[in-house]
Amino acid sequence: MHPLNRRQFLKMAGAASMLAALPRAVSAQTVAARVVVVGGGFGGATVAKYLRMWGGNVQVTLVDPSPAHISCVLSNLVVTGALPMTRITLGYTALAANHGVEILQGSAIAVDPAGGRVTIATATGNQVLDYDHLVLAPGIDFAPAPGIWNPDLTPHAWRAGTQTTVLKNQLAAMRSRDTFVMTVPKSPYRCPPGPYERACVVADYLKRKGRTGAKVIVLDANASIQAEPEAFTKAFNVTHKGWIEYVPNAAVQSVNSSTRSIVTTARTVNNAKVLNYIPNQVAGGIAASLGVNSSGYVPVNPLSYAIANYPDIHVIGDSCAVPASDGKAVPKSAHMANSEAKICADAILRSLRGEALDENIASSSACYSPITSKTASWLSTNFIYGDIFDAAGNVKGKGMHRVDIGEAPAAEVGGDSFEDMFTWADSLFADCFV
Amino acid sequence: MLIYKQTLIGTVAALAALSLSSGAHAAPPAGQLLASQCAQCHGTNGNGPGFDELAGKPTNELYNELREMKYSQQIEGIMDRQARGYTDTQLRLIADYLAAQPGAGDD
Ligand SMILES: Cc1cc2nc3c(=O)[nH]c(=O)nc-3n(C[C@H](O)[C@H](O)[C@H](O)COP(=O)(O)OP(=O)(O)OC[C@H]3O[C@@H](n4cnc5c(N)ncnc54)[C@H](O)[C@@H]3O)c2cc1C
Ligand code: HEC
Repeated sequence: MHPLNRRQFLKMAGAASMLAALPRAVSAQTVAARVVVVGGGFGGATVAKYLRMWGGNVQVTLVDPSPAHISCVLSNLVVTGALPMTRITLGYTALAANHGVEILQGSAIAVDPAGGRVTIATATGNQVLDYDHLVLAPGIDFAPAPGIWNPDLTPHAWRAGTQTTVLKNQLAAMRSRDTFVMTVPKSPYRCPPGPYERACVVADYLKRKGRTGAKVIVLDANASIQAEPEAFTKAFNVTHKGWIEYVPNAAVQSVNSSTRSIVTTARTVNNAKVLNYIPNQVAGGIAASLGVNSSGYVPVNPLSYAIANYPDIHVIGDSCAVPASDGKAVPKSAHMANSEAKICADAILRSLRGEALDENIASSSACYSPITSKTASWLSTNFIYGDIFDAAGNVKGKGMHRVDIGEAPAAEVGGDSFEDMFTWADSLFADCFV
Repeated sequence: MLIYKQTLIGTVAALAALSLSSGAHAAPPAGQLLASQCAQCHGTNGNGPGFDELAGKPTNELYNELREMKYSQQIEGIMDRQARGYTDTQLRLIADYLAAQPGAGDD
């Protein structure tokens, strides 16, 4: 016999109004609302933790195929061998022990929005979970690659784990005069500064190892550097001068993993030593199944992260598209996924209590980007709920309006920021997973 | 606490003893959600691990520091940027909330 959730309880009780009339004093026994969270990355872990921390008697099940999440944050330093994989491996035991989050190892394979059920494939077969609220935080998937792409041969390393190790080993095997080719996906993609950061730490590694004449070629599908333009322009033209070649407007036309060759609208490279093909990105499949915009992400309500027509289904993190002012998009970052998770948790708890959603809300993001093995830059941005504007400055609706953005001033790009990067990452990791 | 079908298919009296609840009975403290947006760098409830501990600091001290950073002419650290992300009213709510949190007494 299964416990009833709130939805079933309402069905059995027949009428919500009758229940609403019950006096608070007799609430000795309560029916826990059930929230299922799909995806135990930065967004999913945070929403699970905060629902329990702020919500008390809410039953939260966190579903992920792995017993631990491997963080993309700091993963470029695993590629260069500066950090071990354990440093970015974030388990779920603390969420269970400290907050009573139930962990279910498996993959969500289908959502039944009308029935309020989600099907999870596990090692012991499928399980169907009823929910009062469902939060989907599956991160990104890759858009289909043009050509013949085998990520085991030409890794993306844009989801951390095995892929990070593949790229690390390929980098370690590079010798003098070898070429490392990487792509920057078309925006919007996960972590705007991430690809430029990778180019920098790879160049720095090759230089430190004395790989004379080796080169990093950055093929950017976009017209210009997408984040921290001052810091990365300086890094490419001064700090790593001669080691990095930056090619804008290089949209990928075809990839061939067996020859490590790539054709783009700006440049063709054949037989690279390493081809780090980072494809264009879209919402994780289980979220995308509920409907996407023209960029492949799931539009959400900025106050609750609920999708259209289903106030009990929420999409947070990299998978979602938040209404924002033109040219001032909400970035896809771990910090932002954590920020959105808290707004979502608060909104779910308010809606379970029958309260109006909070409109006095803000979200933020920050990234620390290593430039060398000892120095880093940073990026910071903030959003407040309210009017959002089109390119001409006319109000186009409500959403998260960007009120501030900025990168580290030149004097701040250095060793102190490199140290701060670890303080920040440890704080973020703990706020999400502990 | 979970309720089983058997319990439910009972009398009206049994039903009346139940209350539908999210478990969170009271509205959240003002500033709780806004202040949680500081936790990525200062720890959950401003209590670390992270940069300067915020929990339990006097509210006026927090508020004044935040406004100082928000209106600083020269941007130095990342905190000068983050402080620009909130209205003064929001900073007051945040300061009040954090001041009421139990801190570990660290700086
Ligand atoms: C190289 C690199 C560097 C980065 N650096 C930074 C940085 O400095 N700062 C920053 O803020 N961000 C950084 N990011 C971005 C950050 O990693 C992502 O934005 C963040 O992970 C998004 O969180 P999420 O919860 O949406 O997805 P994820 O953290 O990717 O989590 C998704 C989880 O969902 C699981 N999942 C997927 N599908 C299913 C399913 N069907 N069923 C169950 N589980 C499922 C996956 O296994 C995964 O664990 C970086 C990214 C990269 C690639
Ligand atoms: C991106 C990371 C980040 C976020 C987010 C952040 N802070 Fe900070 N904060 C810092 C850093 C770094 C310092 C240390 C500044 C220094 O020592 O120069 C700091 C310092 C402070 C200080 C001490 C200032 C002083 O000089 O005494 C206060 C107060 C503070 N933060 C409040 C907040 C509040 C409130 C929020 C949320 C609204 C917040 N911070 C969000 C990074 C952050």
